[in-house]
Amino acid sequence: MYRSTRRLLRFRSLLATLVNRELKARYRGSLLGYFWSLVNPLLLLGVYTFVFSYVFQPRIEGADPYVLFLMTGLFPWTWVASSLLEGSQSLTANAGLIRKAVFPAEVLPVVSVAANLTHFLLALPILGGGLLVGRWMDAPVGGWSALLLPAIVLIQLPALAGFALGLAALNVHFKDVKDILTNLLALAFYMTPVIYPLDWITFGPLRWVVSWLNPFTPFTTAYQQVLFHGVWPGPGLWLHMLGWAAVAWLAGSWLFERLSDSLAEAV
Amino acid sequence: MSTAIRVDGLTKLYRRMAPGFRLRTLKSALLEGSLTEGLAPEETIRALDGVTFSVEAGRSFGVIGSNGSGKSTLLKTLAGLIKPTSGRVEVAGRVAALIELGAGFHPEISGRENIYINGAVLGLSRREIDRRYRQIVDFSGLGDFIEEPVKNYSSGMYVRLGFSVAIHTDPDVLLVDEVLAVGDEAFQHRCLRRIEEFLARGKTLLLVSHSLELVEEYADQALWLEAGIQRLLGSPRRVADAYRQAVAEAEGREHREAKDRRLAELAAEDEERVERPVVDAGGTGEPTPAEESGADGPTPASGPEKPPAPAAAAPAPPAPTPADGEEPRRWGSREAEVTAVRLLDAAGAERYHLESGSEVCFEIEVRAHRPLTDFVFGVGLFTPRRVECWGTNTHLAGFAPDRLEGVATVRLVCPALRLVPGEYLLDVAVHARDGYPYDYHRRYLSFTVTAATAGVGLYFPEHRWEFAGTLRWRRLPPPAG
Repeated sequence: MYRSTRRLLRFRSLLATLVNRELKARYRGSLLGYFWSLVNPLLLLGVYTFVFSYVFQPRIEGADPYVLFLMTGLFPWTWVASSLLEGSQSLTANAGLIRKAVFPAEVLPVVSVAANLTHFLLALPILGGGLLVGRWMDAPVGGWSALLLPAIVLIQLPALAGFALGLAALNVHFKDVKDILTNLLALAFYMTPVIYPLDWITFGPLRWVVSWLNPFTPFTTAYQQVLFHGVWPGPGLWLHMLGWAAVAWLAGSWLFERLSDSLAEAV
Repeated sequence: MSTAIRVDGLTKLYRRMAPGFRLRTLKSALLEGSLTEGLAPEETIRALDGVTFSVEAGRSFGVIGSNGSGKSTLLKTLAGLIKPTSGRVEVAGRVAALIELGAGFHPEISGRENIYINGAVLGLSRREIDRRYRQIVDFSGLGDFIEEPVKNYSSGMYVRLGFSVAIHTDPDVLLVDEVLAVGDEAFQHRCLRRIEEFLARGKTLLLVSHSLELVEEYADQALWLEAGIQRLLGSPRRVADAYRQAVAEAEGREHREAKDRRLAELAAEDEERVERPVVDAGGTGEPTPAEESGADGPTPASGPEKPPAPAAAAPAPPAPTPADGEEPRRWGSREAEVTAVRLLDAAGAERYHLESGSEVCFEIEVRAHRPLTDFVFGVGLFTPRRVECWGTNTHLAGFAPDRLEGVATVRLVCPALRLVPGEYLLDVAVHARDGYPYDYHRRYLSFTVTAATAGVGLYFPEHRWEFAGTLRWRRLPPPAG
């Protein structure tokens, strides 16, 4: 745990280089380039606005206007899902590097997390624009609490990095990780209050599971509070997030370090 | 002097890839940090077995061995890429490793960024790398290419950059695997000069190479690995010689086995066609100059396009010319048969790796199936390209045959066989004085010749260089033998 942390800090410039490369690679040869990171969420927002204004017209207590509520939870969720999927594959995808060189392998899963964070950050102006439009149309959304957004991101970063490290190390031994993870993420999406407010779950045990066993629930709730509801999260929520971040980071980096001795052979 | 590398009882097991082991190997990887804990012997491969050696700081150490002998595993263990299954590995100081092509480079990012990554992995600060950056690029000779992604590099460029980074990041121990062979001649020379400087600064080199000459020249000590087992540890000359000898013996064995198989096939064919004569396998005796010159005309040099009779003193034998155009390896009536040929050194030990100028004995065992009164024994030495170096026979030497019966041994002793270093093939024959073949063997066996100094051509006389006037040399070669 200590070793991974130290090495990640030591190789932060390598991390930055690789993230930069990852971003460049994604849009290489495309006409709009980085612009896609803005266009994608914009189109998504447009489609959902159309669907939820003219097709369904949900009137949900505590989630109105629904499009903005959905987007507030969906953008961070995209960060989670793609970080974990890409991060879990990062070691096997760079097998040559790990087998032949003294290369700090722990950097690779974290690169996936950081690269997808960039996409999330680039989508934020779209969400911000949407929220401003909402306020202008007299919806009670947003507020100064949005200033706390960086704090939430900073806590979520080690949580995701921990998960990515552990999954990547496991994936070296089991290629099944990818398929399990894909399905698990699909399930987790509905077990996280992204498309509905947490209050909607009335069945007690399920509500308990979603609240306490899903590591992404507190983060999603926090994003919704600071961005959508304009509420300052209470200390309990902060502790909840910090707790998951600590657990994920410690468990993930422990797993990674235990398996790192055999990585070069097994990959 | 301090020890730079210490390897003690190093054993490395790899697991065989069977799907059923995955859960178990994960469990042992988690609990023991090893993939092979608790696996049965047949589920693992022993890549290294009890390897033990140490290298003093400032020395260079060579590792040789055939493919799959565990050389790369040893290097990876020293580099810290993989963990020993048992035993200890200690490397003092900073280690830079050049393992395989493009090792340590991320293919998608530029050479420049890779230099910084490599330096960082080796423990250099950004400022330290900044200081060396120019030198690294200049030495690699990459020029503007340094801004290109590494995946666009040619294999030579990979190696040049890799070596340049490794040598300029000032490691205490440099591990090099074979890669130098990829660079062009000029770059190889530059590398070797840098390695000499590196060693002169008291740094340590571990070199894995198939080039025995390189190991002989640059290593202070050498290790020969075979199937993970330490075959020999000692002076590079001795280790390389022993290795060459083993390779030559194995090749000789292969030759003989292939030949035996072929003979067995031919014999089986002959049995099927009983009516066919034994001697003539359907070929025609090609006329050669030897035929015209008569029985007494010694013709050591037969044209390469004709079946060369070893030191033929007579008409060419009725050599079979198979339809597939392949050279026949053996022909003759078998009234007398060559049953074994050995190369012996002065002490009478069998050797197929010789020092130029040393005593060699060609020992031929023959068996006569009927008593013969007309017989000649001959040998011929050829290069792999069928250039005849030397040939002689008992007829040329003036021996007049009287009687050969049953089993006999013939020895041809050369007190000093002066051949240019290289590989040679031996032809052996028993025939009548008019050239009628009893048993002709072409390429019966191969052997290699080495010498302290190199040379080209066929003849390697005893020699030395002398100089006068204002003339100096940076490094003196060892005295010619």
